[in-house]
Amino acid sequence: MTQTQIIGTDNPLNDDHRRILAIVLDLIVPASEDGQRPSAADVDVLGYIRETEGHTLDGLRAELDQLDAEAFESQGEAFASLDPATRQALVDAVREREPHFMRTLAMQTVTCYYRDDRVLEAIGVGARPPFPEGYEVPSGDLSLLEPVRRRGQIYREA
Amino acid sequence: MADEVVDVLIVGAGASGAAVAWSLAETRMRIVCLEQGGWMNPAEYPSNGRDWERRAAKEMQVSPNLRKRPADYPINDDDSPIAILNFNAVGGSTILYSAHFPRFHPSDFRVKSLDGVADDWPIDYATLEPFFAENDNNIGVAGLAGDPAVPAHRPPLPHLPMGRMGETMGRGFNKLGWHWWPSDSAIITRPHNGRGQCLNLGPCNTGCAQGAKSSADIAYWPMNERAGVELRTHCRVREITVDNRDMATGVTYFDADGNERHQRAEVVVVACNGVGTPRLLLNSTSARFPNGLANRSGLVGRNLMLHPWGAVAGYFDEPLGSNFGPQGCCILSQEFYETDTSRGFVRGYNMQITRGGPPVGTARGGIAHGTIPWGAGHHDAFDRLFGRNIHLGICCEDLPEEHNRVTLDPELTDSNGIPSPKISYTLSENSRRMLDHGLARGAEAMEAAGAWKIQKAPSPIRMAGWHLLGTARMGTDPERSVVNEWGRSHDVRNLFIVDGSVFVTSGGVNPTTTIQAVALYIADSMKRRLAELFD
Ligand SMILES: Cc1cc2nc3c(=O)[nH]c(=O)nc-3n(C[C@H](O)[C@H](O)[C@H](O)COP(=O)(O)OP(=O)(O)OC[C@H]3O[C@@H](n4cnc5c(N)ncnc54)[C@H](O)[C@@H]3O)c2cc1C
Repeated sequence: MTQTQIIGTDNPLNDDHRRILAIVLDLIVPASEDGQRPSAADVDVLGYIRETEGHTLDGLRAELDQLDAEAFESQGEAFASLDPATRQALVDAVREREPHFMRTLAMQTVTCYYRDDRVLEAIGVGARPPFPEGYEVPSGDLSLLEPVRRRGQIYREA
Repeated sequence: MADEVVDVLIVGAGASGAAVAWSLAETRMRIVCLEQGGWMNPAEYPSNGRDWERRAAKEMQVSPNLRKRPADYPINDDDSPIAILNFNAVGGSTILYSAHFPRFHPSDFRVKSLDGVADDWPIDYATLEPFFAENDNNIGVAGLAGDPAVPAHRPPLPHLPMGRMGETMGRGFNKLGWHWWPSDSAIITRPHNGRGQCLNLGPCNTGCAQGAKSSADIAYWPMNERAGVELRTHCRVREITVDNRDMATGVTYFDADGNERHQRAEVVVVACNGVGTPRLLLNSTSARFPNGLANRSGLVGRNLMLHPWGAVAGYFDEPLGSNFGPQGCCILSQEFYETDTSRGFVRGYNMQITRGGPPVGTARGGIAHGTIPWGAGHHDAFDRLFGRNIHLGICCEDLPEEHNRVTLDPELTDSNGIPSPKISYTLSENSRRMLDHGLARGAEAMEAAGAWKIQKAPSPIRMAGWHLLGTARMGTDPERSVVNEWGRSHDVRNLFIVDGSVFVTSGGVNPTTTIQAVALYIADSMKRRLAELFD
């Protein structure tokens, strides 16, 4: 892997970074138990970040490196080779210590996740933008206004 | 071209400029409107695409300082707890507005007589009543007749759907014995003037892709252009010029290519909103008006009113579908609108019930506030919030104070080098108390409606300076006001101001229906006096 491959905008993360990222994305939003909603690792979050917030990639890379470094330091292994419980504990510990750690990534993850067809179907808004179909909203029960009508005028004459 | 004199030159094609142009068009005078922005294309609004929430937060950002579109001018609002929000295009800020359209009350025009504060307006509700109705018919307003909190009127179109969330809040208000009513909304619920009806897309304040929201670009400008009004876009006015008889001669502006031009006019009408208008007047200095045009009273830019805004969110157990429906329009409560001094403040506020957050907004908010965790609990936590939250906005009447003002920033300029506005604003003790009262009552309403969790946002909300009022006030005394009782400058007899700048007080409701009614009233006054307009 050459230096340009790592930092070039076409290939913002190397394979190690990508492996760690996939694990972290699954820690942020795992698949739902009923299988209807995918894991965030199964949604193209990286493509989304490159497309919309490429300037944050350096920060992301540094955070992924930090996780790997902490894994080596505390466990003597790469982050990706840890067992799921140890990975989770390590990420929890870093977030506890540094509340802003991977916050940008979490925000980007949900922004990308909640435009995915499978997710939008599962939460009931349909795999489509609002326009042109729109949505049905019940008109509402106007008889609820009876007490308001009975009370009569409440504005001051002037 | 340069020597050609138009009869009426309007600066600004937003809510008020559009209404004035419509009314004056029937005179067959030569009317030109200069607007610094261009036409918006509804086919490009965010809700056409899947990624609408992200795009809305960037391209349709409410703050011009963050949005930075070419037509925007920066505003220094560092010295204010409330940021100034607007939009600069044909249609003005109505491109982004939520179209919540409650009228002022009769008492709003008589605050001095009734409550001993601020000043009475030189006009009253009855004067404006026909113009409210005219505007409602022109643009298409939906609502339910019979609201006992305001004088009787009949909105031309049926009310917007309340949805289950509206019913839920209505039951809560009923439990407390408080007023509530489906809101008047400038959103069409039936086809109107060739426009299609509301489809409940949701994000009205990112631009309405359906064209059902009555923004001035689609509700007024097509009619205006058909009636012969000439609209010149991408023309930014630098100053209004005057002669040595204190009459406006026209304006100097930059055209789309950045060329400086002068347009002569018999009458100049300013409609740049409560910040843009004082900015333009203060930038129009001359030997006869060294402190800014029409500013012999020294009041141009003063008495800025912003409607300090409070917000309460409630979360409910049952699914309410609250994420569907026009975001800012559902029901309102005016229980605390009229003065009751036992509350510890004068005047009052409107409670505006707005819809729940969309998917990305809900998820991001949940992550930011720690209510949606990372990991296995994500989906359950999301489901507990999404479609089950209701928002309540508290729109507080802001009283005029001279130290709250718009001046010119000594350094900041727009892309044409025109000095930008600087805002100096502090929250009054009366407003603070009113906000606290509103937040407590808002929480009470949520509780009565059955919310399991209630969140009061730190208020005033910073990103809520969307109502810009009072900076060129109306009055009969030239020492204490900028324009007379029909919108004409006391100092410059062919200069009119028609936007929210002329408001003497702010009322406690979203102002645009009243702004447009005032604009139509001023235009009507001009038409009635055409023969002696400058006397
Ligand atoms: C996010 C948001 C939500 C809102 N929601 C509501 C709501 O629900 N209900 C409500 O009643 N109100 C709402 N408002 C407020 C409403 O949009 C304004 O009250 C209304 O648009 C004001 O009308 P206006 O004519 O005074 O100014 P604007 O509509 O702001 O129009 C002024 C126009 O003048 C142009 N202009 C300014 N300076 C110059 C210059 N030097 N040269 C050329 N052109 C110039 C601008 O580009 C602009 O197009 C909202 C506003 C925002 C931003």
